[in-house]
Amino acid sequence: MDAFVELSAELTGFSVEELRSTGLVEQYRALADGASEAEVIQLWYTGVWRGAVPAERAYAEGLAWKAIGVAPPGTAGPGFGSWEHRPRRSAR
Amino acid sequence: MRAVVVGAGFAGSLVAKVLGDNGFRVLVLEAGAEPNDDAVSRFRTALVKSPLTPYRTTAAAPSSDYLVTTGPHSLASPYLRMNGGTGTLWTGITPRMRPDDFRTGDLGRGRNWPLSYADLEPHYRAAEWEIGIAADADEQRQHVPVADGYRYPMHALPRTFLDHAIASVVDGRRIDGHKLLVVGTPQARNGVPVDGYRPDGRLCAGFASCVPVCPEGAKYTPRRTQERWSASVELRTRCVVNRLHADETGRITEVGYQRYEDDTSGRHTRHTVPTDVVLLAAHAVENAKLLLMSGLANSSGQVGRNLMGHPVLLTWGLMPHPIGPFRGPGSTTGIETFRSGPERRARAPFRIEIGNWGWGWSAGSPGSDTAELVAAGLRGTELRKAVAERVGRQFTLQIEVEQEADPANRVTLADARDALGNPRPSVHYALSDYVKDGLLAAKRVSEQLFQMLGAEDFTAYEPDDGHYFEHDGEPLRYWGAGHSGGTHVMGTSPRDSVVDEWQRCWDHPNLYAVGCGSMPSLGTSNPSLTMAALALRTAGHLVSGRR
Repeated sequence: MDAFVELSAELTGFSVEELRSTGLVEQYRALADGASEAEVIQLWYTGVWRGAVPAERAYAEGLAWKAIGVAPPGTAGPGFGSWEHRPRRSAR
Repeated sequence: MRAVVVGAGFAGSLVAKVLGDNGFRVLVLEAGAEPNDDAVSRFRTALVKSPLTPYRTTAAAPSSDYLVTTGPHSLASPYLRMNGGTGTLWTGITPRMRPDDFRTGDLGRGRNWPLSYADLEPHYRAAEWEIGIAADADEQRQHVPVADGYRYPMHALPRTFLDHAIASVVDGRRIDGHKLLVVGTPQARNGVPVDGYRPDGRLCAGFASCVPVCPEGAKYTPRRTQERWSASVELRTRCVVNRLHADETGRITEVGYQRYEDDTSGRHTRHTVPTDVVLLAAHAVENAKLLLMSGLANSSGQVGRNLMGHPVLLTWGLMPHPIGPFRGPGSTTGIETFRSGPERRARAPFRIEIGNWGWGWSAGSPGSDTAELVAAGLRGTELRKAVAERVGRQFTLQIEVEQEADPANRVTLADARDALGNPRPSVHYALSDYVKDGLLAAKRVSEQLFQMLGAEDFTAYEPDDGHYFEHDGEPLRYWGAGHSGGTHVMGTSPRDSVVDEWQRCWDHPNLYAVGCGSMPSLGTSNPSLTMAALALRTAGHLVSGRR
């Protein structure tokens, strides 16, 4: 049982597996010791910890972007013309 | 023939190439340092991803953040002093000016150009091929004249899903008598080439970070032109030109500069270099600063005056269904019809860009949405769904409003000094009622577009926001576009302008000031393409004068 990951999953709406796949669990556990819920969510969603981005990966793995279904700007090229297609998470 | 080019940005790199290809021995003196190679990494770890943050700064050649602003408004337009210049971080959108943009003086607003659209048209084509522009000539002919039989070097980029969604609703409808049409915007990023064109760099892969950095190298930057320089062009970075020396006839004989090695101090050595011709291409503000410091070219009293930008009105909302923002270039289409029309006599015209990066620019999405939803108590799956629902439908209209040349808007030399001991530029800048009326008209058009689209309008301007003001009792706000011009204005007479139609200073037969600073009006188009066309025209003139 990993209390930090369990709590993070509960707060973020992303599964333990999704969180582990970011490769950031250990770093975030160390950072977020004693943090508020809002701080833990902000860290996972935006990669920002108390006014700074601790690592490139923190930005690249931001859950807000995963919730929308796109890569954060400047981290991945989905391919020429991919922007013309209906978004994957389209309701229609 | 020896030429010194001051500045290795957009205009400087282009003129150096043409001169170098045609027998000139060219020395390019760049104030900034070589680009850092970790710009992408710096972008990713920057808390605020503003245009200058990824790039190297030096104490000796600071970028626009060293401007002294005296008000009443703020220019809000950054520029970068680094090899490649502001063209490193530009958005890469390259519409041409319209023919009527060259005659704004006739409207009683600003000044006329000493040349016409027709005079510049062949140079637009040359610039589009040198830069490598993706656009469709037939589509562009819907709003600007493009020569018969002309092809852009690359086919138009695919539109975004958002562009299609908006076009499917608004095309053919009318607002205030203007027939709406969503038109593809010419792009300086690689698409599919036409026969006979071989682009440098790779195909645009949709990294969605064009401003400030394209990780794919698909966007044109002046460094691409530098790679095409012949061996007769020499580049020296870390050389801040601070003095031009003229003889008694007005000819420039020598260029003085300060060379530094260290990024963090003002330690430098002093040098001079003799030359036959000088081209200032250091940015509108820096060109004016250098002329003022040298006490040259100013018999008209116009050096530094007529400073213009493009105040941008952002409006933002939610489409009725998900459109997939933050995929691909920042803007691939626009609505062009409000760039002209009879209202232009009464209020500033504007160009509407369809913004593809959600509320990133206008409101700091998705971080701001997340913070708001968390503060509202959302957690877990509820939060995840709410972020997806909110951000997945976001779009922004980015509306560039023309600002007319006004001699009161100006660059002067501040008493404050930089690390090299040179005066910092001081900027007095105001928006006229003509501009404010244009911003307000743009807001009204935006409201009607949102209504047509069934979009929920989230636009809000608060007194605590930067660049907020009220006009006719309406709250308004503007953002900077990074388009500064007018400071060594071009004209037909030495009495009231700084340079002639060739960007040659009236007062000095071998001194040219090139770049957006020469432009008597900016119209409503992003000005880099027009700057490039002017630079190529000037370089061609110098080459033919030598023959």
